[in-house]
Amino acid sequence: MNHTKLNKYARSVSIIGVGCTPFMYTVDNPETNGLTEGEMFGYAALKAMEDAGITAKDVDFYFHGEASPLNGSNYLTPGVQIANWFGMKGKANIHHSEACCTGYLAIEEAANAVASGKYNCVLTGCVEFGDSTPSPADNVESPKHPYKRDKMTMEKFLKTTAWLYDRNYARSFMAPMELIYDDAAEDYVRTRGISAQEMDDTLNWMAINNRRNAAKNPLALERKEFAEIAKEKGFDDVMAYMRSPYNPKMGDFLRMEGVERKCDGAAAAIVCATEMIPQIAKNLKHKPIEVLGIGCSALEATNPHFEIRATEEAVRQVYELTGVKPEELDLFFANDFIITSHLVSAEIAGYLPYGEGWKYICEGRTAYDGDKPINTNGGRTSFGHAHAASGLADIYEACMQMRGECGERQVKKLPKTTMLRGYGGAQNVAAVLLRTMD
Amino acid sequence: MAIKLEKVVEKFYQGLEEGKFLGRKCPVCGAVEFPPVYACNTCGNLETEWVELSGKGKMKSIVMPAALSTKPEYAQMGAFAYGEVELEEGACFNAVVKGITKKKRREIMENNKLPVPVHAETFQRDGYKTIVFALDEE
Repeated sequence: MNHTKLNKYARSVSIIGVGCTPFMYTVDNPETNGLTEGEMFGYAALKAMEDAGITAKDVDFYFHGEASPLNGSNYLTPGVQIANWFGMKGKANIHHSEACCTGYLAIEEAANAVASGKYNCVLTGCVEFGDSTPSPADNVESPKHPYKRDKMTMEKFLKTTAWLYDRNYARSFMAPMELIYDDAAEDYVRTRGISAQEMDDTLNWMAINNRRNAAKNPLALERKEFAEIAKEKGFDDVMAYMRSPYNPKMGDFLRMEGVERKCDGAAAAIVCATEMIPQIAKNLKHKPIEVLGIGCSALEATNPHFEIRATEEAVRQVYELTGVKPEELDLFFANDFIITSHLVSAEIAGYLPYGEGWKYICEGRTAYDGDKPINTNGGRTSFGHAHAASGLADIYEACMQMRGECGERQVKKLPKTTMLRGYGGAQNVAAVLLRTMD
Repeated sequence: MAIKLEKVVEKFYQGLEEGKFLGRKCPVCGAVEFPPVYACNTCGNLETEWVELSGKGKMKSIVMPAALSTKPEYAQMGAFAYGEVELEEGACFNAVVKGITKKKRREIMENNKLPVPVHAETFQRDGYKTIVFALDEE
């Protein structure tokens, strides 16, 4: 496998503002049914500008991410269509699409653009309608209704998910597409020497911990804790519920509650040259969050253990670049649309000790009130997964935690250094390292 | 050799129709690319050349199909699993391996038998043949 050595940014880059919509099933609620791409992205963008204490005039350029613009929005060039909604008419933009890694590479794109010196201040945002499509949902032909949307059927979602994979070999060989669900769990069981039952418990505890975090997050999709759901179903013990047919096995290891909740949402961030903050963001009310570096790797799905190998490379790059040590991490995020990701990536990053991470999870130490918090927003299984937008929603949560503004779900020790492991698109991986500026 | 605009994918699948398993070998470092592509991912050489593979390999990990990870079409293969396969020529990739039941997997794992020897076969899909593997006879 190939390796890359990163160079330092030409100048320091910081996140100075963040914005995020609730993650939701827009079509299911009369108040949100009919929301459009411009309205969702625009809300997140304007909230990020407000958070940074700037106006749209201060922003030079924007990046637009959407994982599946043709399927979800009936657009080929979604970025171009919406500048007017947030005051950036006439400003240039680039659309990018890397499936579930889009929101992490949104920070990569923005940081590179500012670090190069071309732009001083950029907006980076993502939007996704993961649960609905323009109406009528029966095809991809124009015209579509201007704002009505229909629910995304599971059949359509699964068919279009195949578009993530290489058509020449990966789809034809079958195994590359199907291994996404259980490869990491199998590898963990085999290499760490734990039993299948211990892995089952660990997967269930990750779902429970994610839900405990989401229960305290007003932006999260699913907020009822599993302990409460278990009681309603007649179970005194939450784990007995998690092992029951209410949470059926869907994979070799994976159960239903370990799979993403696909939904709708948008998130955005303002990325600024650190040296320019006093001039551009005179009204900034909080400390900037510096982007120390971003490691990146990609392995398409015919490659064995693609998630693990690409994560190892991305993490190696960013540690080598920054000199940061795993013990300096105070907070960790992992794109866990398959919940096993959350365990394996935290161990690869050294946030949890090799072979011991599963115990930390089963002891509740990775929930928001534990000593090794992971995915404090609730992760993909409870916060929800609006595919492109989820990475930036994690950036939103990381920045809010690092500023101490998360209220009931604020972690015990104010985080100074955070790693976010992005993953998606069969498969792109990013390891984003953030640190609060002194 | 010279860099050629060449239909590698078509030739690979035509090979399967004839029962041949084709890869590409680097003339500089000798690494084999499978599935076949233009360049060498081991040494970075810009060219590779066709090589017929033995089809012999070993399976290094085993994941059983389940509700999320199977399709009705796959039933024609009988019992099977997914996993990492390493060819005797060196290339590693994700593949289907026939002949593995849950009981068989348990026996392999409990007796530390991984990696297990496998051999390549073809499997008829909708309009073309693809490559799968099967456990060698014990």
